[in-house]
Amino acid sequence: MDANPAVEALGVAVAARVPVLLWGAPGTGKTSAIRAMAEAMGLPCETVIASIREPSDFAGLPIVVGDGVRFAPPAWARRLADAGHGLLFLDELSTAPPAVQAALLRVVLERAVGDLMLPDQVAVVAAANPPEQAADGWDLSAPLANRMCHLNWQADPRAVADGLAGGWAAPEIPLLPDGWQAEEILSRGLVAAFLHVRPALAVAPPSDAAAAGRGWPSPRTWEMTARLMAAASAAGTSGEARSALVRGAVGDGAGVEFLAWLVEMDLPDPEAVLADPASFQLPERGDRAYAALAAVASAVAANSTQERWAAGWQILGAAADAAPDVAAVAARVLARCRPPEVTAMPEEIKRFAPVLRDAGLLGS
Amino acid sequence: MTSRPHGRGDAVPGLAASRLWAATRFPYLATGVFGATVIAEPDSGTVSVDESWRMHADPELVAEWTPAQLGSVLVHHVCHLLRTHGERARAASVGPDDTSAWLRAADAEINDDLVPAGLDLPGQPILPRHLGFGDGLLAEQYYAPGARTGARMARWLNCGGGADGQPGGCECPGGLPDWQSELLRRQVAHDVIAHAKQAGNVPAGMLRWAEQTLSPRVDWRRQLATELRRAVSEVSGAVDYSYRRPSRRSSVSGDVILPALRRPVPEIAVVCDTSGSMSDDLLAMALAEVEGLVRALGRARQLRVLACDTAVAAAQRVSSARQVSLTGGGGTDMGAGIRAAGELRPRPAVCVVLTDGHTPWPAGPPKGMRIVVGLLGEKAPEAPSWTREIRVPYAERNV
Repeated sequence: MDANPAVEALGVAVAARVPVLLWGAPGTGKTSAIRAMAEAMGLPCETVIASIREPSDFAGLPIVVGDGVRFAPPAWARRLADAGHGLLFLDELSTAPPAVQAALLRVVLERAVGDLMLPDQVAVVAAANPPEQAADGWDLSAPLANRMCHLNWQADPRAVADGLAGGWAAPEIPLLPDGWQAEEILSRGLVAAFLHVRPALAVAPPSDAAAAGRGWPSPRTWEMTARLMAAASAAGTSGEARSALVRGAVGDGAGVEFLAWLVEMDLPDPEAVLADPASFQLPERGDRAYAALAAVASAVAANSTQERWAAGWQILGAAADAAPDVAAVAARVLARCRPPEVTAMPEEIKRFAPVLRDAGLLGS
Repeated sequence: MTSRPHGRGDAVPGLAASRLWAATRFPYLATGVFGATVIAEPDSGTVSVDESWRMHADPELVAEWTPAQLGSVLVHHVCHLLRTHGERARAASVGPDDTSAWLRAADAEINDDLVPAGLDLPGQPILPRHLGFGDGLLAEQYYAPGARTGARMARWLNCGGGADGQPGGCECPGGLPDWQSELLRRQVAHDVIAHAKQAGNVPAGMLRWAEQTLSPRVDWRRQLATELRRAVSEVSGAVDYSYRRPSRRSSVSGDVILPALRRPVPEIAVVCDTSGSMSDDLLAMALAEVEGLVRALGRARQLRVLACDTAVAAAQRVSSARQVSLTGGGGTDMGAGIRAAGELRPRPAVCVVLTDGHTPWPAGPPKGMRIVVGLLGEKAPEAPSWTREIRVPYAERNV
């Protein structure tokens, strides 16, 4: 696993052809990492420094032809179009004046430079210094920020040491298997389900200017999220990088909520396991096991019948060996909601007696 | 993801019972208590925690404790992780020599309301009064590097990297990666708030932590910087393009007129509320911040500062916040201050108003001037909608 999740995330975003923006202090190797990546993949890389360009360099240079005006693309765009694929690297994005940022909108999302359309296989990567670190920095305009996945770039001291000694390691671009787009249907479904639960997060432009310069939730960024998630699972990306991608696309707030919701989705459905107690599998992690068992106990408590109560005990009994403490917490809830028609306490309750006694919770 | 069995009771004696005790006594922390992995580490002589939610316990030491005591130590360590003491120690640049002072401060932050809530730690727990403070403050406030207080360190006090942010310890697998520990923290915060609504017996400090975690307060310094940067760059047009002057590239572009760069330098004025209700410290802090920002923006000219209550004293030109003398008293009218700023020559393009908000406001800004208002103090009423307001609270971080 890479020490820097941003490196891995960068690879996935480039492979998925989602525009990506690296934020980091000057001199931390953003530019060299991107160049090395292009070289390792054999992609032609065109570096364009946004801050010293004019709007017409991105919107096309207006040339009077006969009785009309043509917007001629500059040479770098022609080279990329001729190659048919490649990497367009926009450096120093945050120091570009607003007029240039506005001209970049179409380049970033639609890959249109003046009258020329860049091929779909061209990936757009940008780098920027946070406004407080850049000389004369601007906050990125909200529409431009909303078209990119924002990744935080931090220099890893160990990688710096290795890079100085033996050359910089290029981030690996994961090769996505053919047909990875099929997964996008799944991840779109997940995003849609989440937005059903949290409709307020579908569009939430941030109120303060600094936050508007980073990722924020909008239909476009949610679509980007679905695409990135599909690419990440096709490439077998680590959870850390996946989290960086989701949060980079829709922003920290909405991203964390979405990730938390995904974790919750992984838990077994209490109603389903109560209907078929033998199917219950205790999650490995303690906090998840607790969440799963507590959900079972409160599902029984909400509607306590003889059958459901017995099923609840069966599940807790099965969990008692692996996690006696976790199960005992749920058992205390379950014991309190005995349905009136049941007279005897179940057999399984005896299994919790030792741990309850040790904890001083019996007989008081 | 590979995850080890989370120390379910083997090797560490009495672990199951103590976790059960902890989850029963502090139900709102149960997710955190069960989320931590406990690993037996013989001969370490302590119970420590690292930032990946792993606890390393010496079985021999633990065997001497009751389940309630071990459970309390687990809760205590979980609180170190919840309150990100490791990360905060690095932010406060705690070096290897200062770790014990930091640990005492961090312990005091946790213990002040959990000990009254029933935490039964072995030995004498560190409380704020041992460090000479009142309850309810933050570790950063308790922390005094190099201080040697009389508070005796308990034997298990070496809480580990999760509390002091020092690297090292074991690099064993099975911990939680950063993003998952953040999700876990948020889950606990949700639990705390839900429990507070239902049962209402959550300690106030814990509740404050949960609220802060779920809706973090925006850093006013960052906000002020953004607003000022934006105000300055928009009025100055900074290095944006304009058709006022033709571009130098025009010589090669034939019939097409290209825009050129323009860059007027904006003037900035600051209006300070000096009425009796203002706090000197806060005003000085805010003013110093504005001054630093203006300097960082590359506006080398001196800042003009107007002290204002009901009548405006003459504009003071200062080169440092320390030179501002707060002369006023009595009532406040910021409208007078803004008007006076508008009459300055050369006319300022951006006006920063620092006030406690208890003032009448004019109906709109003077023509061509952008107003950024810094509202000092938690209880300041809102500024009018034609200003950009930033709230500057007293407490820096209210975790």
